[in-house]
Amino acid sequence: MNSPSPAPTIEIVRVWKRYLPSTTPVDALRDISLTLEPGERVSVAGPSGCGKTTLMNMLGLLDTPTAGEVRWNGRPVGGRSERERARLRLTGIGFIFQRFYLLPTMTARENIELPMRAAGVDRAERARRADELLEEVGLAPRAGSFPHQLSGGEEQRVAIARALANRPGLLLADEPTGELDSAATETVLALIDSVGSASGATVVTVTHNPDVAARSHRHITMRDGRVVDDRREE
Amino acid sequence: MRPIAWRSPTRHSRLQIVLAAIAIAVAVALPVILVSVGGGVSAHEIAQLQQTGYVISVSSAGMHGISLSHGLVSEFNAIPRVAASSPVLSVPIDLYAGGVTPTAVLAEGVIPDQFTPTLGPSEAGLFPSPLPLGDPTDLIHYANGTYTGPTTLDALISTPFEAASGIRVGQSIVLSPSANRSLGTAFRVTGVFGVPPSLLGPTGAFAVIVPLSDLQVLTGWARTSATPSSLLDASDTIQVALSGAAENDPSQINAVAAQIQSLVPYYGVTTQLQQAQQLENADAILTGFYLALSSVGLAVGLIFLAIVLVRRVESERRSIGIRRALGLPPRWIAVGILARGEALAAAGIVGGTVLGVIVISILAAYGTGAVKQAASLATYDPILLGSIAAGVLALACLASGLAARSAMRLDVVEALR
Ligand SMILES: Nc1ncnc2c1ncn2[C@@H]1O[C@H](COP(=O)(O)OP(=O)(O)OP(=O)(O)O)[C@@H](O)[C@H]1O
Ligand SMILES: [Mg+2]
Repeated sequence: MNSPSPAPTIEIVRVWKRYLPSTTPVDALRDISLTLEPGERVSVAGPSGCGKTTLMNMLGLLDTPTAGEVRWNGRPVGGRSERERARLRLTGIGFIFQRFYLLPTMTARENIELPMRAAGVDRAERARRADELLEEVGLAPRAGSFPHQLSGGEEQRVAIARALANRPGLLLADEPTGELDSAATETVLALIDSVGSASGATVVTVTHNPDVAARSHRHITMRDGRVVDDRREE
Repeated sequence: MRPIAWRSPTRHSRLQIVLAAIAIAVAVALPVILVSVGGGVSAHEIAQLQQTGYVISVSSAGMHGISLSHGLVSEFNAIPRVAASSPVLSVPIDLYAGGVTPTAVLAEGVIPDQFTPTLGPSEAGLFPSPLPLGDPTDLIHYANGTYTGPTTLDALISTPFEAASGIRVGQSIVLSPSANRSLGTAFRVTGVFGVPPSLLGPTGAFAVIVPLSDLQVLTGWARTSATPSSLLDASDTIQVALSGAAENDPSQINAVAAQIQSLVPYYGVTTQLQQAQQLENADAILTGFYLALSSVGLAVGLIFLAIVLVRRVESERRSIGIRRALGLPPRWIAVGILARGEALAAAGIVGGTVLGVIVISILAAYGTGAVKQAASLATYDPILLGSIAAGVLALACLASGLAARSAMRLDVVEALR
C-alpha cells in the first residue's frame, strides 16, 4: 500500500491563469509551458507576485488553469474528478508550505500519520513509518507535541515528514524557509535536499535563497507570469 | 477508519455547540410532552369506556332528548341478549339543605333496577346495592305515564358532596328546578354513592341521584308544559347492557345495536366499539396536530444546527483547506461533518426526552387539577418517540449535509492563502 510512487513526468502546456477580482483581472500565469522530468531538482525564483505560488498550485493539482493543460505522465489532469485528483495529491505529491499548515489539534505524530490513515495504511505500518520519519527529521522526542508547542523550524520539519509519509514522486516546497531564521533554514534545506536525493522524487522549491539554487540542477526564473529563464546545469 | 479528530474547539464555538444542542433538546421536549400526555389521557379514556357495564347507548340531540323512556325500556329488554336498558336524565338543579341559599348541582334520574346492571365492575362497588330509591322499577309512580302513583322521594348524594355540604343520610333536602325554594320538592337522603377517580367521565360531576320519574316531574320533563296532557317521559340517553358473552362479542353487539336502531330510527345508536374507535381517531388527529405544532420548534432548532455547523466550517476553512490540499478523501471530510451534526442531534434528542420526562413528572407531582391528573396519566410510546428521534436525526442529516456541502465547495487555494 505504502510503496513509493515513481516520480512522474509533468507537463505544463500553454497554461494561463486569470484571476477575476472585483476591479481589474490579474493574469498570474501567461502562456507558460514547461516539462519536469522524473527526479529533477528544480528551483523557482522571481519577484513577489510573479506567479510562483500559482505555478506550484498547478503542479500540485490544487488549482485549474484558465486555459491550457497540465499533464501527469502524459495524461491530462483537467478531465479527472476531484476524487481522483485528491487521490493523486494524497499518494503522489508531498506539499511543504511556507506557513507549515500543520493541523493545530493534532500532535506531530498524528499530523504525520494523517495522510497514511487517509491512504488506508494499517496501524502498525503507520506507526513504524512515523517513527522512521520522526527519526529522519530529528524530532523523535517531540512526537507527542502539538504544533503550538514547537518552534517554527521544528514545525516545518514535521511538515516535511508529513509530506514524505506516503513516499510521493513529487515534492513541492513553496518558500519552505520563508518564515525561518538562518539556522533553521539550513536544517530544513539540508533535509529537503537529502530526502529528495534519497527518494528519487522530483523536487520543486520556490525560494529567494541562493543556497537552494545551489543545490538544484535546474533554475527557473519567472517575471509577470512568464518564465523568463530556464537553465539546466550540466 | 476513525473520523477526523475535531478536538478542542474554541470556547466560543463550544458555546455555540451547546446552545444548538439545547435548542434541539427544547424542540424535542415539546412533542415528547404533548404526545405522551395526550396519548396517556386518551388511553385512559378508552380504558374507562371499556370499564362501563353498558355497550350500547341511545341518545338524541334535541331539547327533549329521548321521549317515552319508560316504554322503550320494555321494548329494548324484549330484544334477545339485552340484560338491562337504563334511561338517564341529567339536569342542573338547585338544592336547599337547610338555609335559603341553594347549591347548584347536577341531578341524575335513573330507574334503579336498570341502572345497576349498567355499572362496570369497578363502578359497581361505589353504589349501594340495591339502590335505596324506593320502587326499583320506577313504574309505580310513573303509573303508565300518568305520574299519579305514590312516590317515596328518596335521593342519593355523592360522597364528595356529602363531605362538602355536611348533609347526612336521613336528612331532608329540597330540590328545585329554579332558584326558588317554594317551587321545590322535599327529598329524603337515603344513601351515598362514591365517585370513580375519573378524569373526564361525567359521573364525577353528579351530586344527586333520584328516581327518574321524580326528576321528570320536578323539571317538567314528564309531560310537555304546553299541552299538559301529552306524555314526554324524557331522558338524555338510554344505556343498554348485554348479558353474558354477548357483552364482549362485537358481532352480537352490532346485531343488537341494529335491532335497537330499527326500533328508534330517529335516535342515535352508538356502540362502545364505535366510541372507542372515535376516541382513537380523535387521539390520532390530536397526535398529528401536536407533531405539526412541534415541527415549528424542530424546524427552528434544526436551522440553528445548520447555522452552527456552517459557521464551524467557515471558522475551520484553513484546517479543512489543509485536509483537502493533502488529498484526504472528500467523503472522509464530509462524513466527519455529518457525524458531528448527528452527534449533536442525538445529544439534543436524549436531552429533550429526558427534559420532557422531567417536566411531565414535575407536573404530575406539583401540578394542580386537570394538569396534574393528565400528567400522571402520561404514557411513553416507544414507537412514537422512536419515530420523533428518527425524524430529527434525518433532518439533522440534512442540516449537516448543508455544512458538508459548503466544506466540499470550499476553494482550497483560497482557504490556504
Ligand atoms: N485569488 C486571487 N485573486 C486575485 N489575484 C490573485 C489571486 N491569487 C493570486 N493573485 C495574483 O496573482 C499574482 C501571482 O500571485 P502568486 O501568489 O502566484 O505570486 P508569487 O510569485 O507566489 O508571489 P510571492 O513571492 O509574494 O509569494 C499576484 O499578482 C497576485 O496578486
Ligand atoms: Mg508565493
